[in-house]
Amino acid sequence: MAPDLGNTQKWMQAVILHPGSDRQAVDSAEARKLVPPSRFPRLIRPSRTLDSFDRIGIYRGMYLARLQEALEADYPGLRHFLGRKRFSDLVRGYVDRYPSQSYTLNRLGDGLPEFIRSSPGIVRKDFLYELARFELLMSRLFDAEESPVLTPEAIAAVPPECWETARLKPVAALSVQALRYPVGAYLEAVRQGNPKPATRRKNHWAVVYRRQFALRWLDLSRPGYRLLHALVNGVPLGEALSGVLRGGRHSVGEVQLFSWFRGWVTEGLFQAIELEDPA
Amino acid sequence: MGRNRWNLPDLGFGIGLRTVHYSYILANHPPIDWFEILSENYMDTGGRPLYVLDQVAERYPVVLHGVSMSVGSTDPLNLGYLKKLKALADRTRAHWVSDHLCWTGVSGINVHDLLPMPYTDESLRYTIERVKAVSEILERPLVLENPSTYLEFGTSTWSEVDFLSTLAREADCGILLDVNNVYVSCFNHGLDPEAFIDRVPADRVVQYHLAGHTHKGTHILDTHSDHVIDEVWSLYRRSCRRTGGVATLLEWDENIPSFEVVHAEALKARRYRGLPGPDHQRAYGT
Repeated sequence: MAPDLGNTQKWMQAVILHPGSDRQAVDSAEARKLVPPSRFPRLIRPSRTLDSFDRIGIYRGMYLARLQEALEADYPGLRHFLGRKRFSDLVRGYVDRYPSQSYTLNRLGDGLPEFIRSSPGIVRKDFLYELARFELLMSRLFDAEESPVLTPEAIAAVPPECWETARLKPVAALSVQALRYPVGAYLEAVRQGNPKPATRRKNHWAVVYRRQFALRWLDLSRPGYRLLHALVNGVPLGEALSGVLRGGRHSVGEVQLFSWFRGWVTEGLFQAIELEDPA
Repeated sequence: MGRNRWNLPDLGFGIGLRTVHYSYILANHPPIDWFEILSENYMDTGGRPLYVLDQVAERYPVVLHGVSMSVGSTDPLNLGYLKKLKALADRTRAHWVSDHLCWTGVSGINVHDLLPMPYTDESLRYTIERVKAVSEILERPLVLENPSTYLEFGTSTWSEVDFLSTLAREADCGILLDVNNVYVSCFNHGLDPEAFIDRVPADRVVQYHLAGHTHKGTHILDTHSDHVIDEVWSLYRRSCRRTGGVATLLEWDENIPSFEVVHAEALKARRYRGLPGPDHQRAYGT
């Protein structure tokens, strides 16, 4: 072990992470325990042009700027809705409570939706929580494993008597979502430069997926959502279909079912058909 | 073959693989010698970045360059990270793996910055053992870069260049000499960059980095946001005379221009190394 080196590193990290001014950071309780403020000018040498506070301040400034840049890239919708100042405040609060513990900045924002949900005083919290959850989902699907796509030949090879118990395996980069706000449309509008996209509550359903490395989403009807949700969760085709066909006022006809299925296969939502083992 | 201690090859003149150039590279297969990739950007993805990397590695030599090994940290080595890094190096048939002489966090936290080491006997001994351990896990020599630094510890008893040189010799690792970082750190600390360049053990230098920076008046930030300045080119030429020239990489990470502009900047290095060129006109027929 290297106690002095470790002490110095813990001190420097405590100063960098402290949310106050450079002087407050050096004078904070955590930093004081490791290096008394009186020792600070000897520990960090001044340069010809900068004093010790200025020099450690460079690292402190870069810390927040770097994390903010990373979260802006992952949460462009959130950044657009909140504006520069409120987004910056959100990031500061978030990284103070949840400093990065990963070697990659790609995982930095994993806890941001829950942070929004659990933080008091956030205006339009329900909308922002769902928007953040949706943007996190997009990031995860972006990095999901690439899957093969179900081919017409594979479909044609299924014996008719096997369809009832067959299971459709979705591609890895796919998620079926029931949403309370038009967050997909919001993100699309932001991307297209629309300054004021709609944010009113509107229950809707969608499948978010990646095709040829591009993220897309497809709006679903309520029964369409129920069917696709069942299928991607491994429910056999016959059981999933009967659930929709017996769906009360939301029931649909066979023509509609066939149309959905064809559309979903064309969009590459499935990678394989798993048949029940005859044994 | 190169003149370095391991006879690692001189790969020529490359640039960092960046997202904004993916489509151009896949569509045009530009005549560039090699690519350096940021390791962490490809370690946890099965999406487009990995697909592009596989295509690039099929056609070009690749070197891995990381920012999160934290070899100087007093936290335990992250074995999961190193395992993934080795797998990526194997997948891309990387010629070598590099990171920085720095630490990035302690107590399980990552600050995501290349934080400076106090250059003491204690940290030298400690880092030597860590580098040896990493090299063993990666089953290849580790190559370490001198980072840009913005402060100096009053506890340091070594100069940065002597610390790095001794570390390279004792831990048997290579040096990625970032010439821009030499310039930046020496400016920030009031040191002589030529003296730094002249003290680097030539047989340990496996690779060069070149980049632009941002001069703030009182200090310089290593931003990789512009063309390489003349003073840095001069230092590069000075070092090449000592090493004979090794694989050279141009970094551009902010306000990234077109692939051709970045490549043209990299090819300027030929002239400073005393080779015919620049070859940009020949490469693109312009």
